[in-house]
Amino acid sequence: MPIPPQYPPVAARRLSNGLQVLVLEKKFVPTVSFALVFKAGNVDNTPGKTGLAHLFEHMAFKGTTSLNSAGYAAEKPALDRVEAAGQALIAEESSANPDPAAVEQLRAALDEAEAAADAFIVEDEYWKLYSTLGESGLNAMTSADYTAYVVSLPAPRLEAWMVIEADRFKNPVLREFYRERSVVMEERRMGESEPGRVLWEALLAKAFTAHPYRNPTIGWMEDIRRLSRTDAEEFYRTYYVPNNATLAVVGDVEPERVFALAEKHFSGWQARPLPSRERPVEPPQAGERRAEVIFKAQPSLRLGFHNPGPDHPDFYALMMACEVLSSGKTGRFYANLVEGRQLALYASAYTSFPGSRYPSLCVISAAPKAPHTTEQLDAALMEEIERLQAEPPAAWEMEKILNNYDAEMVKQLESNSGMAMSLAQNEQLLGDWRYDWQTGERLRAVTPAQVSAAAAKYFSRDNRTAVFLKEPAV
Amino acid sequence: MSLPPGLPAIGAVSFAPPRGRRAVLSNGLTVHLMKDATLPVVHLTAFIRAGKMHDPAGRTGLGELTARLLRDGGTANYTPEDMDRRLELLAASVDSNMGVEEGRADLTALTRDLDAALDIYADMLMRPVFDPEKVKSKIAESLEVLRRRNDDPGRASVREALRAFYGAGHPYGWRSEPATLRAITREDLQACHADHYRPGNIILAAAGDFGTEEEMLSRLEDKFGGWKGGPAEFRPIPPVTIPAGRRVVHIQKDAQQASIVLVLKGLRRHDPLEYPLTVANEILGGGLSSRLASEIRSRRGLAYTVYSYSAKKPDRGYTLGFCGTAPNTAGRATEELLRQFALMAAAEPGAEETALARDAIVNSFVFRFPTAFDLIAERAAFEYYGYPADYLDGYAANISAVGPAEVLAASRRLLDPADALLLVIGDAAKFDRPLSDFGPVTEQAED
Repeated sequence: MPIPPQYPPVAARRLSNGLQVLVLEKKFVPTVSFALVFKAGNVDNTPGKTGLAHLFEHMAFKGTTSLNSAGYAAEKPALDRVEAAGQALIAEESSANPDPAAVEQLRAALDEAEAAADAFIVEDEYWKLYSTLGESGLNAMTSADYTAYVVSLPAPRLEAWMVIEADRFKNPVLREFYRERSVVMEERRMGESEPGRVLWEALLAKAFTAHPYRNPTIGWMEDIRRLSRTDAEEFYRTYYVPNNATLAVVGDVEPERVFALAEKHFSGWQARPLPSRERPVEPPQAGERRAEVIFKAQPSLRLGFHNPGPDHPDFYALMMACEVLSSGKTGRFYANLVEGRQLALYASAYTSFPGSRYPSLCVISAAPKAPHTTEQLDAALMEEIERLQAEPPAAWEMEKILNNYDAEMVKQLESNSGMAMSLAQNEQLLGDWRYDWQTGERLRAVTPAQVSAAAAKYFSRDNRTAVFLKEPAV
Repeated sequence: MSLPPGLPAIGAVSFAPPRGRRAVLSNGLTVHLMKDATLPVVHLTAFIRAGKMHDPAGRTGLGELTARLLRDGGTANYTPEDMDRRLELLAASVDSNMGVEEGRADLTALTRDLDAALDIYADMLMRPVFDPEKVKSKIAESLEVLRRRNDDPGRASVREALRAFYGAGHPYGWRSEPATLRAITREDLQACHADHYRPGNIILAAAGDFGTEEEMLSRLEDKFGGWKGGPAEFRPIPPVTIPAGRRVVHIQKDAQQASIVLVLKGLRRHDPLEYPLTVANEILGGGLSSRLASEIRSRRGLAYTVYSYSAKKPDRGYTLGFCGTAPNTAGRATEELLRQFALMAAAEPGAEETALARDAIVNSFVFRFPTAFDLIAERAAFEYYGYPADYLDGYAANISAVGPAEVLAASRRLLDPADALLLVIGDAAKFDRPLSDFGPVTEQAED
């Protein structure tokens, strides 16, 4: 029985400067969750500056002309000396033949300039202010497509949030930039120690040749090493404008009051035209690509197949195909490969990685159960795919997926912070906060034959990239 | 703190968590209920008095396997395939897990499917059959998980640090081994189920749109009422003995980052020192404005991940500090980690710093209960762990009473790193200082 989409009562208003504000009133405990999403992700970095969107996100916790500062007028010249020293170091390190002694000297000069600027810093004041307010989940995340800033607060803090965040995005000061860049390098090293992350990075770099989805969001280490505060400020000026953002507020608040406060505090933030979002178009893949990653860990694999992007009608049939393969314990991968033949520890499929703004990859992630090998598992995964290509899924498989999707739509309303994030993300990146509900309708319209047809069209050998993690030979 | 202009006055936040309803079924099964008709969904969770720490020696992994086979090994009325298919068609979920100190069984269902899903859930708890083929396949799966236990050095370091701290043979520190998993038989699983999954040994919490509380109680009485069995009996857990003095354990691994863990002796559960210790941890390693994050991450750029926390145990809990850093800064980071713990034990924190930590805990207290289910599950958890019924209600006031002197007194007892265990996974050849600078080093092979 087709169920019409039941949209939650979201109130929407666009401020005069272009900032889109969404409010969903929900009561149980007196709390409110915020998500501010910018269409500013790793795909928006200029070439050679991978990781810049993410590094700016870190810098957005470092205060403003008033917050974290003991007096910005005196601080500014000290920060400019830090930047000059930072750029001198980058120039020497990036030269054809860096002189180790000169690098050492320049690094010491940077340390000294940073220490001098410390005199004007009020340490961690932004964080401390939120602690006092009783924050929960104060965080930010950067992806290929976007950057999101999130926090939940007791409901009476609504206006405090408006005051602090309007200041944060109107008047940021990127102090302690080079130290934070070191923190990000440690974040990258942490990822380099985890086999799963290493494999995902290798898959994207292999599957994309032209489109920036090939780059890791954290950035390549050699790119991070060359990022300057000036780069980050340039990124901020280009993309951190109200007409490039959506704010979602979910919890114990009245929509009209949220709109009024947002207008009051955010309207001084100036809109500016945004640059073109055209990115190099990924050429059609002509033949399978394979890569091995040598890493001291147990074997696993990742497969990627180029998808047509969410604007293409095939996308929803492909979503259904991924769900037929990997939704739950009755999904084919689990039922046949984890149980059944018992050659996988896990196997899952997902329609869209690493983003949705541009055509991306449909991905499969799996690990073999010893004594089975990645090659055996790969063959078994492809057999399941071939079966789906040849025979349309059963009615109960389709019904199960749709039922679970509908139930998810109800359950996602339980979490204020989750709801805020998904409303803001869908509105800002996919053009409509109702996107998840509309997707339910599109999935309902997919026929079993279309699922098989999409599997045949996209899960082809020629469209496939396979990456295998192997232990080093002893 | 210099506040931004226009910031409204920051008042205190007070939140009195609702009580919910507590009842005991005719067979002794304790139930906590809270009706919440916001959405047509019902959640249940059961706390089963059990835990990995009660595994028999030589059979570590038994509790966890039992819990997983409850879910995957079939029941008297449902084959494994039947159970999966029915639940997934209803978009309902049933799960069963085993923690160190508790067994858990969860159910989520849309209101319209509650009775069908509850029937499966109840059958799983009362009448699991441990299908022999499924037993074999779950043991094989657990062996594969063991094979992979050192793939992520960050996670391995925390596990190995606790194992070294309590001793590999102590229930708080032990881990499953291939031999202990292979030794487990279907009869062991049946016995583990019969010993622990009994109505007198379970506290159940439910919230959601289940009709009236009376309707829900009679539904539970109907499903579980005929089930018999009192509280479980347990062998005593051997006392924890922590040797005095600094110990250093190094596991050689050529990883991109060194993982550094510090473990110190912690609290017995219900010790009122938990309040000042909680404030002390907030100051030391609670968030990005804590001392560890400020000094090791933000000021020195040595780490992305750095934190501390304390865990309570029936006998002797622990406090753990963690930091991941490049191998060539492992020495600097370790020194700073130790220095920050030592500072806590050496001097009172400032009045403002203490107030900030208290505010952070008290003003965010409401976030422990984002939904009616979270709240009622907390009520059940505190009963399970033997807290007084008003524990949650007095929590904020108890935190608010902590001052700098109490923080120092707790830190002197519990955060002085002199007796701490330090465990590092990383490539010693690349370290900026030898680990022997921090105490006598024991080399341990990765396994």
